[in-house]
Amino acid sequence: MGESKSDVMQGTLDLMVLKTLESMGPLHGYGIARRIEQVSGETLVMNQGTIYPALLRLEQRGWIKSEWGLSESNRRAKFYSLSRIGKKQIEMETENWERMAATMARFLAPSN
Amino acid sequence: METLRTILSRIRALFLQGRLDHELGEELRGHIELAIEENLRRGMTRKEARTAALREFGGVTQVREQYRAQRGLPWIETLVQDARYALRQLRKAPGFALTVMLTLALGVGAVTAVFSVVQGVLLRPYDFRDSGRIVVWRERIRELENVTPLLPDNYRHYLNLKAHAKTIEDAAIVQPSGFSVATGVTGNAADELAHPHEAEGMAISPNFFSVLGVTPLLGRSFTAEEAQPGRDAEVIMTWAAWQRLYHGDPSVLGRTIRINDAPMTIVGVLPQSFRFPVMSVMPGSATFGSTERYEFFRPLVPMPSELIAEDGDFNFVVVARLKPGVSIAQAQSELDGIEKAAAVANRLTIHLSVIVEPFAQEIAGDVSKPIWLVFAAVFGVLLMACVNLANLQIARGVTRAQETALRAALGAGRWRLLQGVLIENLLLGLGGGVGGIFCALLGEKFLILKAANLPRMNEIHLSAPMLALALCLSILTALGFGILPALRGLRATPQRLLQGNTMRATGSREAVQSRRVLVAVEIACSVTLLMVTALMARSFSHLLTQERHFDAQRVALVRADLSAPRYSSGSGLPEDPGADRGSLARDAMIDRELERLRALPGVQAAAMTNVIPLSGDASVDGLVRPDHPVPKGLEPMANRRFISPGYFEAMGIPLRAGRNFNALDRAHPRVVILSEKAAQAAFPGEDPLGRTLLHWNRIYTVVGIAADARINDLRRDTSVYYLPYWDFPPTVPVFLARSTQSAEALIPAVRQSIWSVDAEVAIPAVATLETQVADSVATDRFQTLVLSSFGGAALLIAVLGIYGVLAYSVSLRTQEFGIRMALGSSRTGLARLVLWDASYPVLGGVLLGLLGAAGALRWVRSLLYETSIADPWAIGASLAVLLAAALLAALLPVRKAASVDPMQTLRTE
Repeated sequence: MGESKSDVMQGTLDLMVLKTLESMGPLHGYGIARRIEQVSGETLVMNQGTIYPALLRLEQRGWIKSEWGLSESNRRAKFYSLSRIGKKQIEMETENWERMAATMARFLAPSN
Repeated sequence: METLRTILSRIRALFLQGRLDHELGEELRGHIELAIEENLRRGMTRKEARTAALREFGGVTQVREQYRAQRGLPWIETLVQDARYALRQLRKAPGFALTVMLTLALGVGAVTAVFSVVQGVLLRPYDFRDSGRIVVWRERIRELENVTPLLPDNYRHYLNLKAHAKTIEDAAIVQPSGFSVATGVTGNAADELAHPHEAEGMAISPNFFSVLGVTPLLGRSFTAEEAQPGRDAEVIMTWAAWQRLYHGDPSVLGRTIRINDAPMTIVGVLPQSFRFPVMSVMPGSATFGSTERYEFFRPLVPMPSELIAEDGDFNFVVVARLKPGVSIAQAQSELDGIEKAAAVANRLTIHLSVIVEPFAQEIAGDVSKPIWLVFAAVFGVLLMACVNLANLQIARGVTRAQETALRAALGAGRWRLLQGVLIENLLLGLGGGVGGIFCALLGEKFLILKAANLPRMNEIHLSAPMLALALCLSILTALGFGILPALRGLRATPQRLLQGNTMRATGSREAVQSRRVLVAVEIACSVTLLMVTALMARSFSHLLTQERHFDAQRVALVRADLSAPRYSSGSGLPEDPGADRGSLARDAMIDRELERLRALPGVQAAAMTNVIPLSGDASVDGLVRPDHPVPKGLEPMANRRFISPGYFEAMGIPLRAGRNFNALDRAHPRVVILSEKAAQAAFPGEDPLGRTLLHWNRIYTVVGIAADARINDLRRDTSVYYLPYWDFPPTVPVFLARSTQSAEALIPAVRQSIWSVDAEVAIPAVATLETQVADSVATDRFQTLVLSSFGGAALLIAVLGIYGVLAYSVSLRTQEFGIRMALGSSRTGLARLVLWDASYPVLGGVLLGLLGAAGALRWVRSLLYETSIADPWAIGASLAVLLAAALLAALLPVRKAASVDPMQTLRTE
C-alpha cells in the first residue's frame, strides 16, 4: 500500500483513539491514553505524550472535536469527542483493518 | 477533503501560535497532574508519583515539537525564522550589507538601463505589418565603391526593378524633405506663429503606406493620379501634427493647408501608433533622431531630369516588402541581375549593382556596434561587481564558520543551514534589486539626455517587465554568488571548525587564495575596460582636435526656405540658369539679405551657402576637364557648393592660392574655386590656376585654391568645388554670420533681417556652427562619455576589491606580524611583505587583462578614428592608472600591517 512504518503506526493509533471515544464518549487526553493502555492489556507500551500529536491530527481532519471542560478533580482539561464524520470513518477503517488482517492470515497460514 | 481541512487548519494555526502554545502547555500540565493523582492513589509517594508520571509520558519537549510540526506549516515557520535571523545578522554587519546591496544596485541598474537602449534601438521590431519583410534597397557603382559604397536610388532603375522583380511584393520610392507649413491661421504679424513653420516629412510614392501595412486613421492614401506634376496638391499628416495644428478636429479632411506657400488639400491622417524613423538619402549620414520627426507626406513627383537620367540623379530611397518566404539574399540576387541586365541593355559605362538590407539595419546599422560595445562594457562592470560580491561572501563565510559549525553540531541539517544562507542572499538580492530599479530609472534619464540622437530613442522606456527582470537578475546574482562560498563552508566538518584558532587560519587561507584569484580576474576586466575607454577617449580627442581649417566659433547659421511659387517658376533644370523669374527673385532676396546681415551690429562677415555645414556629403559630382577627357564615371568626385564671396571669411577657411570671388565676377560668373584635394585630384602635378573645368555644359575657369576644410564631416577633408551663387541661387540658402558676440545672441537678429526682406519666408533651421560640429560627433561623444563612466566604475570596483582582500588577509595575519616584529623584522619589512603579497594578483591580473584586451581591442578597431589599437599613450596611461589605483588600495592595509603592536597581538588570540 506504500505506507511507511510510521504511517501504519499512526494509522493504528488513530483507530484506537476513535474506538476509545466511540465506546467511552467524550474524554480528555490522559483518559484516552490510559484507556488504550488498559484495553491493549498493558502490552502496548507507548509514551503517553504521543497521543497529543495524534489527537491534533484527528482534529485537523475533522474526525474529532475538542472542548475545554472540567475533569473529575475539577481541573481544566480539553475533552475530545467523535464527530459525525469520525463515526463514519470508524466503519471504513475497521473494514480496512479486517480486510488486511484476513489477507495476512491467509499469507501466514501454513500451506497445506 | 481531509487534506484541504488539514491545510486550512495549519494555516490558521500559523497566526494563533501564541495562544495555541499556551493551551497545549495547559493541556500537558493537566495530563501530568492527572497521572500523578492516579499514581498517588496507587500508593506511591509524591516524588515517586511524579517521576513515574513523567517517565510514562515520555519527553515533553519532543512531544511539544511533534505537536508543533503537526500543527503549523513548519516549512514556512522555518523560513520566517531564518528570515528574521538573517535580517538581524545583516543589521549587525551593515557595512557588508550596504556594500553588497549598493554593488548589486549599481551593476543591475546600469545593465538594465543600457539593455533598454539595446532593446529599444536595435532589437525591437518596428510596428509595421510583418516588419521583418520590409527592406531597403540601394544602388552601388563599382567605380565609386571606395568613395561611397552605397548610393541612393535612381528613379528609372526603381521603375525597372519594380516592374520585373518577382521576389518583391511591392516597392515604394521616397525622398525625405522639409516643408514650410502654414495653417492659414493669421495672427499678429510680429508674432512668430504668423510666419510659416518648417516641418519634416517625406515625398512618397502612392503605395508607401500599403508597403508598410499602415492604414490611415482618417481619409486615404495618395492615388496614382496625384503623383503627376500639377496634380500633387495633396498632403497626409501624422496624428501628432493633426492634434497640434487642428486639435484633433475630425472635419480636417478636405481643408486647405499651405505647404511651401502653395495650397494643398488634406486627404488623410495617420493613426496615432504610426512611427517612422528619420531616413537620409545618403546612407550613413550623420544625425538620426526621434521616430516622431516626420509629420507630413506629399506625393512624390520626380523632376524631369530624374525621369530620364540613367547614370545620375541618384536622389531617392526605396522601401520595399519581400514576398512571403523570400530571403534577402534571393531578392538581392534577383534585383542585382535585373539591374545589370538593364545596364548592359542601355550601354552604360558604369557598373551597377543593387544591395538589399533589412529595414532595421538601414536605420540602426551605424550605431549598432557602438551600442553593443557599451552593453559589453556595462556587462563587464556587472561581472566585476559580482566578483566583489563573491569576495565579500567568502570573507563572510569564514567569519561565520564557527557559528555554522556550532549549529551543525547541535543538529541542524545541511539543508537548513543552506536555507539560512539562501534566505540571507535573497534578502540582499531584494534590497539590491529595489535599488537597481531606482538606478535603472536614473540611468535611463541620463542616457536619454545624452544620447538623444540615436534612432528611436524617443520610444525607449523601462517597462514593468524589464524592471521585474532587473529585480530577478539582482536576486539571481546574489543567490549565485552567495551559494558557492556557502557550499564550501558546509564541506568543512564541525570538529575542525570548532577547534578554533589554528584551524581557522588554515581554512581561511583557502579563502584568501580564492579571493586573490577573484581579484586577479577583476583586475583583468578592469585592464580591458580601461584600455578600451582610453582608446575611445583618444580617438574622440583626435576627432575634435584634428586640424579642420575652419573656425567654428561665433558663427550663426540660419536656413531660409525659398520654395514658394514666387521663387520657383522656371523649368528648374540646371541647364538654363538665371534667366527665369524664380531665379531672379531668389538672387534678389539673397543679395538683399546679405546686405542686411552685413549691416547688423557686431557682424564681421556675412555669407551664404547652399548646404548646411557638418551635414555630410551632398551634391557630389565629377570634375570634368575639357582638355583631358576621362571616361564617364571615372572622373574625380567632389562636392559642389554654391557660395557668396564672403563665405571663406565667414567660415575662417584660408585661401591657399589665387583669389576669392569678387563683385567683378558678377558680370562673368563662370569662375570656380577648388579645395586643395579637388585641385590635386583634377590637376595632378600641375598648377590649376587659370585652367578650365566643364560644368553643366559651360566652361569655368579656376581662379583660386582654398584650404582643405572638414566642412562636411570632422573625420575627413572634403573635396569641394565652389561656384558663385549668382547663376544658380539655391532654393534653400543657408546664411552664415560671424560676429564678435556669441552666435546664439545673433540668431534672433538674423531671423528678423530675413523677415524684413520677405515676411513669408519660412526659417527651417537655425543653429550655430559650434552646435553643428558638436552634433555631428554626438554618437562618438556619447560613446566616450558612457565608456569613461564605466571605466571609472570598473576602477572603483577594482580598488574596493583589492582593498577588501588585502585588509582581510592582513587582519588574519596580525599574530604572524606580531611574531615577526618580535623576532626583529622592521616595519618597512612588514610593509614590503604585504605589498609583495598584493603584487601577485595584481600582476597576474594585468597579464590576463592584456591577453583579454588583445582580443577585445581588435573588435573595437573599426570604431576608432585615426588611433591605432596599440596606441602607446592609451595603453601606458591605463596601466599606470590601474597600478596607481592598486597602490592606493593597498595603502591602508599596509599601514595597518606596519603599525602592528607586537605586545598586543601576542597577548590576544
